[in-house]
Parts: sequence; structure tokens; C-alpha cells
Amino acid sequence: MYRKKFLAVVLLGALGVSACGANDQKASGDAKPEKGGTLRILSESRSINFDPAKSQNLAITQLALVHRRLTGWQNAVGQPAKVVPDLADTGKTTDGGRTWTFTLQDGLKFSDGTPITSADVKWGVERSFAPAFGGGLGYHKDLLGGGDYKGPFEGKELDSIKTPDEKTIVFTLTRPYGDWPWIASTPAFAPVPKGKGAEADYAEHAIASGPYQIASYQKGVEVKLSRNPHWEAAKDQVRTGLPDEVVIQLGQEASVVSQRLAADSGDDKFAFGASFVSPAQLAQLQGNAAAKSRLVTSKSGAVAYLGLNTQKAPLNNVKVRQAFQYAVNKAAYQVASAGSAALAGDTASTLITQGIEGREQFDLYPTKPEGDPEKAKQLLAEAGFPNGLDNLTLVLNKSNNLTDKSEAIQAALARANIKVTIRSLETDAYETETNLAENPAYDLTLASWQPDFPSANSNIQPLFASSEIGRGGYNLSRYSNAEVDKLIGEAQSTVDPVEAGRKWAAIDKRILQDSPVVPLIYTRNSFLHGSKVGNFFIADFPAYPNYLQLGLTK
Amino acid sequence: MSSPVARSVPAAVRSVLARDRWALAGTVAVVVIGLVAIFADVLTAIEGHDPYTYDSTALDPANGLPAGSFGGVSGEHWFGVEPLTGRDLFAIVVHGARTSFLIGLAATLVSIGLGVLIGAAAGYLGGWVDRVITWSADVFLGFPYLVFMIALGAVVPADFPRALLLIIVIGFFGWPTTARIVRSQVLTLKERNFVKAARTLGASPWQVFRTELLPNLWGPVLVMATLSVPGKIGLEAALSFLGVGVLPPTPSWGRSISAAIDWVAVDPAFLLFPGLALFAVTWGFNALGDGLRDALDPKSGVRR
Repeated sequence: MYRKKFLAVVLLGALGVSACGANDQKASGDAKPEKGGTLRILSESRSINFDPAKSQNLAITQLALVHRRLTGWQNAVGQPAKVVPDLADTGKTTDGGRTWTFTLQDGLKFSDGTPITSADVKWGVERSFAPAFGGGLGYHKDLLGGGDYKGPFEGKELDSIKTPDEKTIVFTLTRPYGDWPWIASTPAFAPVPKGKGAEADYAEHAIASGPYQIASYQKGVEVKLSRNPHWEAAKDQVRTGLPDEVVIQLGQEASVVSQRLAADSGDDKFAFGASFVSPAQLAQLQGNAAAKSRLVTSKSGAVAYLGLNTQKAPLNNVKVRQAFQYAVNKAAYQVASAGSAALAGDTASTLITQGIEGREQFDLYPTKPEGDPEKAKQLLAEAGFPNGLDNLTLVLNKSNNLTDKSEAIQAALARANIKVTIRSLETDAYETETNLAENPAYDLTLASWQPDFPSANSNIQPLFASSEIGRGGYNLSRYSNAEVDKLIGEAQSTVDPVEAGRKWAAIDKRILQDSPVVPLIYTRNSFLHGSKVGNFFIADFPAYPNYLQLGLTK
Repeated sequence: MSSPVARSVPAAVRSVLARDRWALAGTVAVVVIGLVAIFADVLTAIEGHDPYTYDSTALDPANGLPAGSFGGVSGEHWFGVEPLTGRDLFAIVVHGARTSFLIGLAATLVSIGLGVLIGAAAGYLGGWVDRVITWSADVFLGFPYLVFMIALGAVVPADFPRALLLIIVIGFFGWPTTARIVRSQVLTLKERNFVKAARTLGASPWQVFRTELLPNLWGPVLVMATLSVPGKIGLEAALSFLGVGVLPPTPSWGRSISAAIDWVAVDPAFLLFPGLALFAVTWGFNALGDGLRDALDPKSGVRR
């Protein structure tokens, strides 16, 4: 029964995407993008961090307009994402994944005209270890054995990175790691000219290696990117670099962005929105055929989940946590997210997201999408809570309508006599109370996780390894299980993707037996773009548009 | 020289309701919505829905909008349903009335009570007490209390009863206006012979306040209270609109209006019903208060 529904939804999704003319240049009004023009990106955030050490950007969004990395991504609708050469090749290993050698292309230059060498890449990676430049994606840190390393500004080098000549860089990892070429596409692997980037505001005048350089940066207002004269299209297979100029308008209200893009007048024809289109706007777009044709929805995406704080009573009891699997109403969550199941995304029962190698579809807690409050009550009674649970706190980050979604959770849990108070916080306050807190007070949190590279590793390790509890890590359910940690280590060391996939699927099941989170849905993201923005597509992975391939049409 | 209170309060209320059609209409609106708030459970039981239960069958499966025209208004859902949730809007508005009335009236009680005590103390005792109170009132009147309340709403622990917090905060910041008026009333009253007589006979300030001043303050206090209720209800709605008021799932007009703004282009009914309810209550209290003021204040010659 599941399979049937799954197929239907996938089909629907595929139709939706192709009807949008996303990657299909023959579609209505989607002429081939040409060189030139000013592309506008309307962003909800008030600042954009162009410091590669501090950035969590995917390899295909704004950071990659300015910074190249060792490797890049190639993605397209209907195809799995691939890791492809960017500054260097995709890496070679001769000892089963422990030592990786990358060779840089010839004649690469920074925006200031100096050549890009392997030493600059090494400097960039080392820089990400400096405490002052934390906060970026850190998959590489543990693998490079940088436990005590405090960055290059104290005069020390990281011994696990060697640069035998200007074009070669060799990484020696602490253990074999099959996904290393993907890790080499994360922001820290962007070159920073050796010796530079010591200042805290490097983000605002970072030296570029990509098609654009930062021309001006006004926090909360806009970022202007102009052409980098030293970038050559022929030496870059992941970026087309078509627009002459990119203007990122910051601090834009999401609903206003949608209205502007729907109206499609003036400069907004050359713009697209960087944040998701909200459910109210999605409903509004249903009646506007012209705007609807410029709406692009991803096939799948992040797994939205309810995190259960496994270190705090009463949720430290596995029976209690399992009750939540039956108490939630995933159907109501879908409607609250986007108005309909088709726009919101499929209901989720696994941790590994759709489209990831090795993913197995299973459901340890089979029930209706609406949930089964009676079963939840029964489990609670067995755990010693016949009258349900009182006074649980659900904390969340205010953005992306999470407050509305959390009310759907609150109402669903109330059916099983679980009473929840919602605390919606701004991003900074949320982080202070969750992943930065020593001893956080929350019982539940609502979050979603999009893997940073298309491997089950990136689904599981950041959320469930005990090393990711607190200190900025995303193990929000504070799940700590030595057995799972060991299994994660083993799966990470497996270089053969099929074998690794099988191991990750087994870990997925093992973790869900302990029920540290309730997977809710695999969220679909919807984005809106202006009529003169061409080649605007969302591939199978990730669930975001590829900023590097789009351009403006005449 | 006549007494500042032209006639007894019940008589004034009767006469204003008999003569002033606006005040009468306002009273009717207030009484009707007040009854709705009191009997919210009964009314929602008659309609058959509560304000908490999600119901996706009442929604259009394509986009999460209410199924049916005008926000899904039907015999089943009298005011339609909320988009994306399918919660019954009638139940939300009716229970929202309870929230609004409870917080509005209780906060008014707090602010009038504080204002009368503080104002009477300033007027009657005079001297440094008067100076300190007048000065504090000026400070409080100029205080950016909305910003303060937003900040407070964000830092107070979630397990502190939210309605109580709002009552205390909204009520507390309301005292200076009342205190100023009461102070000026008391300043004239204390020169009157009956007050002087009581004082000469050795009555304590508290006795004078209770037996001589308070009976003569009821008129202006009632007018002030009536006129300040809509402001308090509006403030509660504003705080809930900004997301720092009553916490979900407790229904609140302000939060519903805030949610409805995003939907106004496709589902205007969602904004209309909570908006109308808020309008009716604030207008009702204002009309009633205006009428009372006209009737109780001899200096006001306006008659309708």
C-alpha cells in the first residue's frame, strides 16, 4: 500500500517539476539564458557569510558564486548528484580511502591576480580550525585529526595536509573515509590566499576564486557581486557565470518577496527568492497561472522531524519516546506545512532522505498518517504515565512558519494527553537554548535536516553521533549510544558506496528503535523566480535551486 | 457650587441608555459579546466544534484553503474554518472573546485600582508624595511600554501563566492616566467642607479616602474604566499579533488576525470574523464610555 502511494506521489512530483519548465528550456517563456545582465537574489536573511570557514552553504548556492572549492557538484533533474572536478580533480586514493591526493588545474587565479596554489587551499582548511572562524561545516575536522589544532594564525601547520608542489595537495585522514571527495566540496575547501584572512570581517571582502567578487557589502541591505576578471569559464565546469552582476537584497520579508515575484514587474523579472514560498502564498499562486508557471518545487528534500530530548525525564524512557511515533499527526503536519500533501512532501518514517544511495524504506511504527493516539496512550500507560504527560516544552526557531507547524504537533499530541507549551525563538536565542546549551531545558524541538552532501553519512552522523551533542552540534535529541557511534565509524570507513549504503540503512533502523526523533515528512521546497530568469531548476539533490547554472534571458 | 458628580451612577447609566442611542448600541454589543465569552463552551457545544481540533476534511485538499466558499462558511462551520488547520473559526472567535474579555477587564481592574489609590494618595497627601507620584506618572507615560512588554514576553519562562503575566503587565502600565485624573479630582474634593470636616474630626487618610472621597470618585472612575477597556483589549491583541501575547493553542483574536493577514488575498473571511469581533468590542466599550462621560460630567454639554 505504501509503495502504491509512494509511486503516485513521485509521479505527481515529477509532473509538477516538469510542468514548471524548471530545467526544460523549451517550456513556456523559458528562453535560453544568455550572457550579461544583473541577476537579483531576494534573501530573507540579514547577512550572508562569504567567509568560507564560517559558511554552511551548499556547493551550489551563493557562496559558490564567489568561492570555488577543490571539488564541485553537478546536478540535474532526474539524475543523482555527482561530485565533479572544480579547482582540482575529484581526488585519488591508493590505500582504501585514508590518503587522498588532489591535483589542481593549471593557471587558476584569485580575483587579485595572484595564482591559486595548493598552499592556499591548505591555508583555507587550516583557517577553519581557528576558534575565531568556527561555525562552518566541519565534517573534515575530526578526520584530519585536528583535535587540539587551533588554526594557522598561531604559527602551526596541520600535519595531515601536505602540499608536495604548487598543484598537489594530499590529505592523510585518521581513518579510511569513502566520502572524502564530497567533503572536499564543502566551504572550508575554498582557497584563502596564504597568510590572509586573519581579520574577523574577512567575509565582507573575501578574495574570490569564482566568477564573482564582492563589490560592496552592506549588512541588512544588499551585497553586490561584480565579475572576477581572472575567472575563466573554460576552467570551470560547475559554473556558467552568465550574469555580469549579481545583487543580493538582504532582509526581505518572505511574503513581500513572493508578492513581488508574482507581480513580475521591473527589476523583479530578473530576480528569484532565496527562501521558501509560504503556504499562504502557495495557495494564492494557485489562482495565478503566469506566476504558477514560475514556481519550482523540489521532488523531495530535508527530513522534518520532532526531536525528543533523550537525556531529560520523562523522555529518557524509550517507551515514552515510542509513544510519540504514534501520537503525531503527519497528515496535519503536511497540510500545515504547505497546504497539501503534494506540496509539502511525503510522510517520513526513516532518517535517510529520499534519493540517497542505499536508502531503505521501512516503518518501525506503522500507523495511519493521522497517527494513532490510542496506541500512544497505551504505550504511555505501559511506561507508567497512564494520565499522559504534562508541561513539556517544545522549542523552535521562528523561521519558515515553524510556529504554525508546531501547533499541528501540539494539537496532535494533545489527543494522546501530551500537553505541550511552544516556545518560538529567534535563530540566535534558539541556538543558545539548544545546540549551544550545556544542559538544555527543552523536551521537544522541531527541526529539519538536509544532508550537506548526498550520502547517508550526512543524514545520520551530524544528528545522532554522540560527538555532535552540544557545542554547536546538531544532535538535538542528545542521543548517545556507544553501539551506534561504533556502527557510524564503521560505515564511514567503508569506501564501496553500495556496501556503505547497506550499513547506513542498518544504522537508520537501529537508531529509530530507540526513537530519538519522530520523522515527519520529507519536505518539498518551493521557490519562485522572475520571468527573465532562465535555467532555474531544482535537481533531485539538494532541494535548492542551482545558483551556478542559471542566467538571464532576453 | 454643585458636586462634581451630577447624579448617582446607576441613575446616570439608566438615563444615558434611555437617551443616547449610540451608547445603547455600544452596551448591547458589549453585553452580547460578554455573554458569548461567558457561554463560550455552550455555544461551541451547540455548534459541535472546539477551537483546538485539527480537521483536514474541512480543507481543500489541493491547497489547504477552507473547502467551500467564503472561508468555508456553512451550517457545520458557522464562520468557516482556519486555512491549513481546519480548526473551526466560530469556536476560535468565541473562545477568543473569553481571552480578550478576561485579560481586558482584569487588566483594567488592576490599572484602575492602582491608579485610584496612587492618584488619591498624591492628591490628598500632597507634598513630596505628590511630587514623586506626579514625576513617576510622567516617566511611565513616556515609557516605551510596548517594547518593554515584547521584551518581557520573550524572557519570562514558558511555565509562568501567560494570561496572568499579560494582566499584570498591561494593568501595571495603565495606572498613570487614571492616577492623574483621580489626583485632580481629589485636589478639588479635599477643599470641600465635608472632607475638611471629616479631617477636623480626626479621620485618618484611609477613612477619608474610603468614606468621603471614594463615593465621589465612582463617576469619573467608571467612565475611565469603560474607556480604557478597549485599549487594554487592543493591547492584548497587539501583543498576540506580535507573537508575545497569549500562547497557542489558547485562541486569541490578535493571533488570528496576525495569521489571517497572509491569507487575506485568498481567504478574506479568516480576517473578517476575528477582526469584526475585535472592532465590535472596542467600539462598544468606547460608545458606552462616551455616553457615560456625557451623562456624568456636568461640564460636558454634549447631548445626543
